Amino acid sequence: MSITQETLKNHLKDPAIFCCRREKGAVIGAADLEDPGLFEDMIDAGLLTLSDDALTIEQVLGSTLLTNVEALTPITRDVLDKVNQVETALKATALVKDEKDSEQIMASNTYVGGTGMIHVNIDKLEGLSLDIPVGAALGGSMQVPAPVQENKGEKHVIRKLIKKHIKIVDAEIGKKTSIKDGKITIDGSIVKKAAEEDPLCVSLKLDVIKPEERHLYTETIMDVCPIATKIEGELGEGITKVADGVVFMLTGVDEDGVQVHEFGSSEGFLDEKMYFGHPGCADENDIIIRCHAVIKRLSGMTRPGPFAAHKCQDYIIQAVRNELKQYEGEVIKEEICEDVRRKGNPRVVLVKEIMGQGAMHDNVLCPTEPCGILGGQKNVDCGNVPIILTPNQVRDGSIHALTCIGPATKEMTRHYIREPLVEGLAMDEELDLIGVVCIGSPQVNDEKLWVSERLGSLLEGLDIDGCIITTEGFGNNHIDFIQHIGQAGKRGIPVVGVSFCAYQGQLVVGNEYATAMIEENMDQGGFENNVAGCSCVTKEVAVRAIQMLKNKMAGVEVLPAPKKWSNDVINKNNKLLGLPETKLLDNGTLH
Amino acid sequence: MKLTTLEGMQSEIFVPVTPKPVFTELKKPINECKVAFITAGGIHKKSQTPFNTSGDFSYRTIEFDTPSSELMVTHGGFDNSDINKDVNAMFPIDRLHELLKEGFIGSLPKETYTFMGGGGNVEKFSNETGPEIAKKLAAQGVDIVLCTGGCGTCHRSATIITRCCEAEGMSCVVIAALPPIARQQGAPRITAPHVPIGSNAGEPNNIPMQTAILKESLEWIRDCPSYNGLKILPYEYRHNV
Repeated sequence: MSITQETLKNHLKDPAIFCCRREKGAVIGAADLEDPGLFEDMIDAGLLTLSDDALTIEQVLGSTLLTNVEALTPITRDVLDKVNQVETALKATALVKDEKDSEQIMASNTYVGGTGMIHVNIDKLEGLSLDIPVGAALGGSMQVPAPVQENKGEKHVIRKLIKKHIKIVDAEIGKKTSIKDGKITIDGSIVKKAAEEDPLCVSLKLDVIKPEERHLYTETIMDVCPIATKIEGELGEGITKVADGVVFMLTGVDEDGVQVHEFGSSEGFLDEKMYFGHPGCADENDIIIRCHAVIKRLSGMTRPGPFAAHKCQDYIIQAVRNELKQYEGEVIKEEICEDVRRKGNPRVVLVKEIMGQGAMHDNVLCPTEPCGILGGQKNVDCGNVPIILTPNQVRDGSIHALTCIGPATKEMTRHYIREPLVEGLAMDEELDLIGVVCIGSPQVNDEKLWVSERLGSLLEGLDIDGCIITTEGFGNNHIDFIQHIGQAGKRGIPVVGVSFCAYQGQLVVGNEYATAMIEENMDQGGFENNVAGCSCVTKEVAVRAIQMLKNKMAGVEVLPAPKKWSNDVINKNNKLLGLPETKLLDNGTLH
Repeated sequence: MKLTTLEGMQSEIFVPVTPKPVFTELKKPINECKVAFITAGGIHKKSQTPFNTSGDFSYRTIEFDTPSSELMVTHGGFDNSDINKDVNAMFPIDRLHELLKEGFIGSLPKETYTFMGGGGNVEKFSNETGPEIAKKLAAQGVDIVLCTGGCGTCHRSATIITRCCEAEGMSCVVIAALPPIARQQGAPRITAPHVPIGSNAGEPNNIPMQTAILKESLEWIRDCPSYNGLKILPYEYRHNV
């Protein structure tokens, strides 16, 4: 790749190498040269050999080629009409500078100006030590200013959210929707009305799967969605009730029996197709209410089809939410979530790249009910631009995932209501978490770059000291991901990237700022293995990412990644942090 | 500000390196060339086994006389509605027959090969699928190979296969919706219309646009001065999903 004028300026003393084949007669400029930042990788890959007679960039600029030269070839004297004489001139300048340095110049001037201010002007200062008594002033009396409150990261609570976890011990499909004595009953006939919510939904079916009954066949898992409802306040504040011990699981096929899935499908035995206990998944002991949708043929890989399934399921969940509002059952946990400011601590944001390309690549943001659909806006309709949420809004179910990408790497609705990075950053007393930025990944390259630039301006405006950027899935979204990292990096903002890459999802593009990266993979071969929720942000991923960000912000070196995916590197980091080993799941995936 | 730091942490994900250049100059006029079109966009005949959407390094054989109505897509990486409307949006087989009739190209081979490059296994595509497809195309006397990607990792797979074809002595171009990937992965030549992934060869049912993208990509094979050269094509289509 050729380089920009800016890169050129930073590398004048580095070897000049042609990025592409150049013909006789070409006048050498930035566009002809390879980026010296890539040399190390290229040498490692055997693509480039530097020679002793290679000229530097400043020596060759503006010279004319006397013969054709191939790409990645060092430029030498014999192929040019002239070589710029730069060394001597530069040495002379350096010499003058040295002489100046050697003189100990100290010119200072102190006076009291007309404004009553003391003005001290020091051209060059060395070895000065001053002790001025408090309240004393040079040249007259002055008022002692009120002591400035020093910000030391004290916690200031902006708003509070209480999540009441209500114990649910049983569920069944019956005659009337109700919750009684810890048991959810759903009126079996509701499916008919629910399916009428969207013309693309052909039918719905409900059943209950107990934890011990999971070795049963399921169609592809589209989503795992908690049952949560507002009792008081808006999303992110007040009181929310969450049913504990039970989740909805949406599955789907079209009229021809084609699975409603994208990058891989998770149909099969449920006990083998979900990573139970991961943030987006059902927990070990959860009861699963399965809602199976059949949608119109050929609508599975378009935007309205899968959305219809989510929307119709939400009609059913709303009926349960309405019962949960009234139900005064056992509260097994009261989770207090706070939006806080810790002024004086490093300001950080979490950037979550979410999908925005249609079909299932979409998310509903800020619905009326936690994890709901109604009242929300679709990320695609918002143009995929960055939208900032408070940590509490995320923790109160502001994101309903329409869950694209492969089963293993997608973040389902339940993931967001208990996102380990949001929890980790919000609780960290050394940081000041400013917010969570959701940014969509559009399907057109130009649009990807456009939304990424908007993110760059936002990060700059927020005046942050560091950020963590995550993405779900892999492939084209890594273009945006790397762009986002670049937007932070070029502004001098320390940045840590978090993604599934491993073997199958290895980055398709890169830049010089992607130097502190955390891997989410938990598959043996490094593949998308079709186990729902397998390779996502876990608690361990979050701990590693937060620590890496602190290192970056404090200037502690992060060692470069090896040139090939290795789980040993991940486990070395785990060990340093006292985290359990990342054990990879071997289900024989190779494709 | 006090931050707890920890020495010795290592970055866990590597950034890719652009591979070695590969470039075969076109030595014939376009209207004398045998032109093949391959795609990583998951196109296959309705009668064939669909691709595994989470990764698949197998390929399908498509005879060039297959009617476009007998083709379909199986791909999980993008919204399929454009290809459902018009398969030429990814695999412009009808346009190629028109170019042949018009005399813009010399001939079409008997058959071509399609694959689903999404999540493509890099080693399998580089060492097995790619060389196999390249050999089969070369054996038919193909001079030029045009290729569309699809999704992100499709562009990687498309580029890998295209590089294999280039190495077999054919002149190739990747028509890229995601040019940064084709560049980084080392495509010999790249053209880039402003289109979304899923309609990489142009807006569905927009015959003039699809034809123009094909013609200018063929011309870029002739005119591209050196390896990895990128030409932005002035055609824009927005898919309002």
